[in-house]
Amino acid sequence: MRLKAKLGLSSLAMIAMLTAPANRLYAASHREAPITALDHKADITDWFTFVSPEHPDRVVMILNVDPFLEPSNGPNYFPFDPNILYEMKVDNNRDGIEDLTFQFRFNTEIRAPGVFTGFVGSLLKIPPITALDGPGSEGFSLRQNYTVTMNVGSRKVDLAYGQKLYAVPSNVGPRTMPDYNALRAQGVYELPNGVRVFAGTVADPFFIDLGAAFDSLNFRMAAGGGVLTPAVDADDAHNYAPNTLAGFNVNSIVLELPITMLTSDGKTHPANDKNGVIGTYGTTSRLKVTVLRTPQDSGNANGNGNGNGQGEWAQVQRMGNPLINELIIGTGSKDRFSMDDPVNDSQFANFFLNPLLAQIFASINIPVPPAPRLDLLPLVQYTGPICPFCNEGDAGPIADLLRLNTGVPPTPFQSAKRLGLLASDASGFPNGRRPLDDVVDIAARAVAGILKNSATYGTRIGDGVNTSSAPLPATFPYVAPAYSGRDSAHAGPGQLGCTPQPQGICPVN
Amino acid sequence: MKTLPLFFATVFLAHAQTPAEIGIQKAQELIAKHPDHVAYYSGLAMAYARRARETSDVQFYTKADEVVDQALRISPDDFEALKVRTWLLLGRHEFAKAAKAAAELNKRVPDDITVYGYLADANAELGNYADAVKATQWMLDLRTGNVAGLTRAAYQRELHGDLSGAIDLMQMAYDATAFQESEDRAWLLTQIAHLHFLGGDLKQAENHAQAALELFPGYHYALGSLAQVRVAQGRFDDAVALLKQRYDAAPHAENLFALAEALDRAGRKTEAKTAFAEFEKKALAESTIADNANHELMAYYTDFAHQPEKSLEIGQAELARRHDVYTLDAYAWALAASGDYGRADTEIREALAVGVKDPKILQHAAAIEAKLKPESEESARP
Repeated sequence: MRLKAKLGLSSLAMIAMLTAPANRLYAASHREAPITALDHKADITDWFTFVSPEHPDRVVMILNVDPFLEPSNGPNYFPFDPNILYEMKVDNNRDGIEDLTFQFRFNTEIRAPGVFTGFVGSLLKIPPITALDGPGSEGFSLRQNYTVTMNVGSRKVDLAYGQKLYAVPSNVGPRTMPDYNALRAQGVYELPNGVRVFAGTVADPFFIDLGAAFDSLNFRMAAGGGVLTPAVDADDAHNYAPNTLAGFNVNSIVLELPITMLTSDGKTHPANDKNGVIGTYGTTSRLKVTVLRTPQDSGNANGNGNGNGQGEWAQVQRMGNPLINELIIGTGSKDRFSMDDPVNDSQFANFFLNPLLAQIFASINIPVPPAPRLDLLPLVQYTGPICPFCNEGDAGPIADLLRLNTGVPPTPFQSAKRLGLLASDASGFPNGRRPLDDVVDIAARAVAGILKNSATYGTRIGDGVNTSSAPLPATFPYVAPAYSGRDSAHAGPGQLGCTPQPQGICPVN
Repeated sequence: MKTLPLFFATVFLAHAQTPAEIGIQKAQELIAKHPDHVAYYSGLAMAYARRARETSDVQFYTKADEVVDQALRISPDDFEALKVRTWLLLGRHEFAKAAKAAAELNKRVPDDITVYGYLADANAELGNYADAVKATQWMLDLRTGNVAGLTRAAYQRELHGDLSGAIDLMQMAYDATAFQESEDRAWLLTQIAHLHFLGGDLKQAENHAQAALELFPGYHYALGSLAQVRVAQGRFDDAVALLKQRYDAAPHAENLFALAEALDRAGRKTEAKTAFAEFEKKALAESTIADNANHELMAYYTDFAHQPEKSLEIGQAELARRHDVYTLDAYAWALAASGDYGRADTEIREALAVGVKDPKILQHAAAIEAKLKPESEESARP
């Protein structure tokens, strides 16, 4: 009797499956996995880690989430989600497992519940918003504060030491926020121990011709059709194809810390010392429904507490290297990849070492090395060139971490190269990643084999989008202020945004 | 205006058919139009499997099997067809094979939560509860609040003794199920009734079972659930009537056993004897295949025929296939009936260690424990 009852259980499950859409489209790099396509707030758009150009003894980590924020999309704009745990994780002993975790939690307050919008100024005797707190903040109704906590083992440290930290809101427009940059500057916090932190809405620094890339690699002929001319390839300052992210905002958390807080021995190390190499990734998590509840959780249907007020979390997404989930991981594995830990990435080894994208390149006569692609291992293991003195025993497991040699001095942003390490700029991707690094072109070329042999496999693959549409600041928080809701525009095909093109109009073809 | 009667006729027709019947009809129409499109065959096979649940007629599994064979002839590696095949293995109670097939599919496409469901089902039936919980947790993590994951999580909570937690999840699943899915909702109500029954709340159990029958009249699972309540209420003749109705709709050996048991409780000994005899014959005929009524057959030999040695023999064969709490309980009870209380205690403790709070298992455990305590005044004859 029990068996037949169980059949019913299974059958119900199957029926529920059948009602789900059989095929989904995965349209954008910023929404790569099905689960995050459904959960924008938890969707990690980009993850950066680089040695601070302002303070070469510090490392900057940036976690960007919540893609394609249209700057004018009021009345609530784009708060962080208080139900999400945002984390930055650092492996400092090459075992693929995080040793340090920096956690961010947000809290929302509605200070003027009777007002129809979250942000108002110069109306109804409410002054313009010129401050995050105190006088000038009266119209800042939907306000978020946040905490930043460092976890080392079971030890937790409040990096703000009780200071109230406010997230910087989106740039609503000049009437509401007449000096947005000054307002935003108040959201840069200098914390004790040489730590700086910022959280808020910013101009999305990423740049890509997303429409062409996901139209089955239908790149614009005006930009070389996917293979750049030497002149275009050498131009780090202009775009020859529309940057799909132009004019869109994103939510950003930026943390700058002394290198000595990150390494396993609390010291800085020169570039030739493996102890100066770290691996990082960012995650978003939500409280989960647990199958089995502890006795302390009775009365809580979700079973998502552990009895001491601390919830259990289900990871929604992670990001180490850029474009891994977008371009490398198969669609049927993207969610599992997003939710699993880097240390378990050997299950995806075949995707890394025999990427489908390489096979696609080969099919259109771009030379690629044969599988297995051991030349791609530097992206997923501790080895040269990022960890030049790592021997076989230091490689660690296959794990998608953004590896950074903290001993490599930072190149000033003004002279940095978009192609990073490929252009002999040793402080650029894949040695960490800066917002200015053109990871689309770099990653595509890496997949095509440039790390193995640049002469044979060095095709100048590129989308023709070579720089961010918002000028990237060389100072903390290293991401540009949010686009104005009232006064912003996007740069689609046929629209302004590609300086070297006739009249600056981005090509359609 | 002329189209209005046609509209109503269509609506009436739609409501006259069950969800599975509609699925079968639609899939057959699509196959007729596109005989080489493999996905339609998988859809038809699943609709047949669903009809099997609606009617309890296992012939629909045979039909589903044939359709999957057709699908795999067109595309031998088709993922959806292989999923249906795995589901049918579960339907035939080939749990070890189903677990293996599901593990292979999971490796191929780790994001498919249906496959996690198969892993959960197969491992739960095999008694591999840690693996079942793990697979179920993946379902909930991958798609928070999905009905398939909630129902499986509820079953795990039930097995682990968290009845109120199981009810919470079943209720969440019910709330999330579409209005049109009448049989699904009736099934969920039946499960909630079952959980209330296990928890001793007969009123809630009765209400939910009756609600299921209102939603899906004559539903065989709900008839069984309501009969369970009637037995507990001492309304044995009412239970007999319900179980007769169920056996007419779903003439399976295990359903006949429940009817015979109720007849016996009702004092209708002659009818009970006839029913037990027919049950024994029927259950023995399928005892060596995977889809059997061996738990009920063991209970019959232990409690009614007083032939525990036969029960032990069946139990050993069943334990070679699986070590779930219900098999462990049936075997322990047979051991106790044969006087081997020490081994009975070992077996039933293994079941209790999972956390299960099924009243029957608890009663068996208490009786065995009493026999092992000479000073105890309690006695129970297994």
